[in-house]
Amino acid sequence: MESMSRRCFLKTSAVAVTAAIAASFPRSLFGLGSTDASGYFEREFGITDALCRRVLAEALSKGGDYADLYFEHTIGNWVLLEDGQVNRAYCDVALGVGIRTVKGDQVGYGFTQELAEKSMLNAASTAASIADSGPRQLREEFKELKLKDYYPLETLLTIVPLESKLPLVQSVNDRCFASSPHVVKVNAGFHDQQKRVLILTSDGSKVEDLQPRNYLYASVVAEKDGRRESAWWNLGGRRDFSFYTDAVVEEVAETSVQRAVTLFDAIQPPAGEMPVVLGPGVTGVLLHEAIGHGMEADFNRKKMSTYSTMIGKKVAEPFVTIIDDGTIPGQLGSINVDDEGTPSERTVLVQDGILTSYMHDNISAKHYNVASTGNGRRESYQHFVQPRMRNTYMLPGPATPDDVIRSVDRGIYVQDVSNGEVRIGEGDFAFYVSQGRMIENGKLGAPIKDINIMGNGPKMLQNVIMVANDMELAKSGAGSCGKGGQSIPASFGQPTILVKSMTVGGVKG
Amino acid sequence: MNKELHDLAGWSVKTALSSGADNCRVGISGERFVQMSYRERKPENIKEASTRELVVEIFAKGRYSAQSTSDLRRNALTDFIAKAVATTGLLAEDPYRALPDPKYYEGRADVDLKIIDPDYPQLTAGDRHDSVKTIEEACLTEGGEKIITVTAMAQDTHEERVVLTSNGFEGYANGTSYWAGARVTAQDEGDRRPAGYNFVASVARRKMPSPGEIGAVAARRTLSLLGAKKLKTETLPIIVENRNVPTLLGALLEAMSGWNIHQKRSFLADKKGQKVASEHLTLIDDPLLVGGLGSRLFDGDGFAAKKRVMIESGVLKDFYVDWYYSRKLDCEPTTGGSSNLIIPPGKRSVAEIMKDLGRGIYITGFIGGNSNSTTGDASIGIFGHLFEDGKPTQAVAEMNIADNQLKFWPRLIEVANDPWVYSSRRTPSLVFADVVVAGV
Repeated sequence: MESMSRRCFLKTSAVAVTAAIAASFPRSLFGLGSTDASGYFEREFGITDALCRRVLAEALSKGGDYADLYFEHTIGNWVLLEDGQVNRAYCDVALGVGIRTVKGDQVGYGFTQELAEKSMLNAASTAASIADSGPRQLREEFKELKLKDYYPLETLLTIVPLESKLPLVQSVNDRCFASSPHVVKVNAGFHDQQKRVLILTSDGSKVEDLQPRNYLYASVVAEKDGRRESAWWNLGGRRDFSFYTDAVVEEVAETSVQRAVTLFDAIQPPAGEMPVVLGPGVTGVLLHEAIGHGMEADFNRKKMSTYSTMIGKKVAEPFVTIIDDGTIPGQLGSINVDDEGTPSERTVLVQDGILTSYMHDNISAKHYNVASTGNGRRESYQHFVQPRMRNTYMLPGPATPDDVIRSVDRGIYVQDVSNGEVRIGEGDFAFYVSQGRMIENGKLGAPIKDINIMGNGPKMLQNVIMVANDMELAKSGAGSCGKGGQSIPASFGQPTILVKSMTVGGVKG
Repeated sequence: MNKELHDLAGWSVKTALSSGADNCRVGISGERFVQMSYRERKPENIKEASTRELVVEIFAKGRYSAQSTSDLRRNALTDFIAKAVATTGLLAEDPYRALPDPKYYEGRADVDLKIIDPDYPQLTAGDRHDSVKTIEEACLTEGGEKIITVTAMAQDTHEERVVLTSNGFEGYANGTSYWAGARVTAQDEGDRRPAGYNFVASVARRKMPSPGEIGAVAARRTLSLLGAKKLKTETLPIIVENRNVPTLLGALLEAMSGWNIHQKRSFLADKKGQKVASEHLTLIDDPLLVGGLGSRLFDGDGFAAKKRVMIESGVLKDFYVDWYYSRKLDCEPTTGGSSNLIIPPGKRSVAEIMKDLGRGIYITGFIGGNSNSTTGDASIGIFGHLFEDGKPTQAVAEMNIADNQLKFWPRLIEVANDPWVYSSRRTPSLVFADVVVAGV
């Protein structure tokens, strides 16, 4: 449920407008020195198993199938550059616990930012109100899950000294200006976040995780003959600080500048239907939005998705296989465990053109009588769990990228898209092409810009008639997926593919 | 004034100064809300909580940082603020960073904005259940057998905020808001399952439409999407439904911000005093609107709120420039962000305008898309209805409009008489001539 909070108007503009940046903290602050997730909440906040049992008992005091607690302590830091100087820093600290009672597909939810027993019992009482029978018994004791670690850290980024982060951002700025005489403005920044979670369930499972997220970015304005263009680029994910090498700085700067400068020669293509080639990597966001969301189990359980009657049926050509995978090391959408305590996994959604599985949380898994796929995720302790994607991608196919482009007489080649949106029930989607080229007689032509491509997700999937062998994952650390008013980190990828026909929203009829 | 919040803010200001800050601004916000949704005639989700957040902005030795936290334990805050000050000292100097000249704090309006619902304390859990149940029931009844699923929802919120600065600003804001609606999925031909919605918001419960009307409208809006087709690409007049106009306005507002202007990312940067739209467009920012969802007595800098005409008869009159960017741009500040946005309504209804136009597209929703604030180039997906002989005849989907903002807004030919009052954007439906609507 989206919030209609007026908080933005109440906040001070400086902080409300910018996603508040952050300073880096020394080891002593918040006790964040260890990269080991285990025991953190007990050490720092006195959260014992016995206390959690009392809170869970209150959450099930009126019945319900099960209850869970989601403790979170997140620190986010930003350092930002404007007009040549790293002259602002922001930090955001979030601390709290969300308490959920589930009865069938009904959910009661309360949360508190105060980790005192009285506050937690009040929140648990709110959650319990979804049920209306006698109390349900808990398991005797918690069993702690041991997890594989898909984002091992040598050092927490929150304790990397600020002095080590500032040169990264300054270097990006300097290289952007050195890269082209057309560059007139650069905004650059580095973001790191450490999210610690502790999840305990009335079924007796207990798990802790430490989830890093970070990225380095540049946003560039270039000017030529009185005309201005802008572009940006970032690299990151769930990385160790050692990821941010000189080569990364170089790629962030060079890519953002080249993307801006290329647009000086860009045209807006004519409007209408035409073949569309999606390049490898970041265009996977289209797969994520136009197809992936329709395979999230809640939309199917509620019969809102066009895929709700399609399990076991053909949804694409036999050379199309689609995966949602939370186990790729360092990738932004990877999770060691989902936000209900289910260990992460690699889930095959479409196998050789056949729809084989939805993405499940506990509620939908019970509805469909299958095991959860570990896709139960939430933005924070303030939010409900929903089935959400992790890293969603298409496996490589038999063609080469050149084969794909050569097969098109007249169409467009899409290198990057943004601002995607899908209407789940119809499957209709629209994406803004931020980088691309015309294809004329099987060859890449003039750059294109500022157009939409529109289509229908299920139809698009059926219309994927070529898949190349060059699958890439997006390397962004900044990607967020929005659903139901919640934003979570997710990633995607795909090889070069040819879609037989899509609507291109150009300027002339 | 909430004494507890005020005392904590005052203590935080002192702590920041004693830790080495030259100046600081502290804001503490608190919120209590209840959310509820119903599906299949039973509660689907119930959520209730209170939140608090402290934001401290540090000005030290010509440097600046901002920090926020929900951990308001005083010992934790002491460390938090001290480290914030220490961190600020490591950054580069920024000569434009300073608290505002206190003269801009003066002149705060002495009016009751009526943004607190006096009935809020009497609202019960039973009232909430009854309201959401009624929305769902009305939607199911109105929608009939074509409806696959309905999720009816509502939220009520009470928020308050205290802001103090070390150079003498004190502000307190306190308001309620209600939000209710339904998302509806219906069965169309083949596998298509169009989803429609109706959501409304207000500061007072009694100003909301009845729950029955909210649900029935949600059903009617959804059923109107059935049978949607993609039409041939054609140049047509379009009418943008009142509640969807803010999406169009967003492109102008972004380019009117001080940050975009200073960072050379605004296609409007050199257009102040010039015509950027037809004479039919007047845009007013009115923070003092009584009962408005965006009403306020002071802005994020603490400036006394004032009504401003941003665009008058198509001429760009002002930008949104906060204190910091006013110093960088060497101009007078206005305000950092919009409050209640008002386009004065015209004289004719949408039905009358449709009849006059004969044939065109009535846009009831946008999908995806973007407007480039640097160049003004835009492209966005649309859905809605083809109207012919003055009446809607065919639902349309999977279509697109694309143009440059400076070419698009001059083609505004009429403003309808139907301002949408359930939002801080009080916009009537707008009519544009000769728009390329791309389809097949």
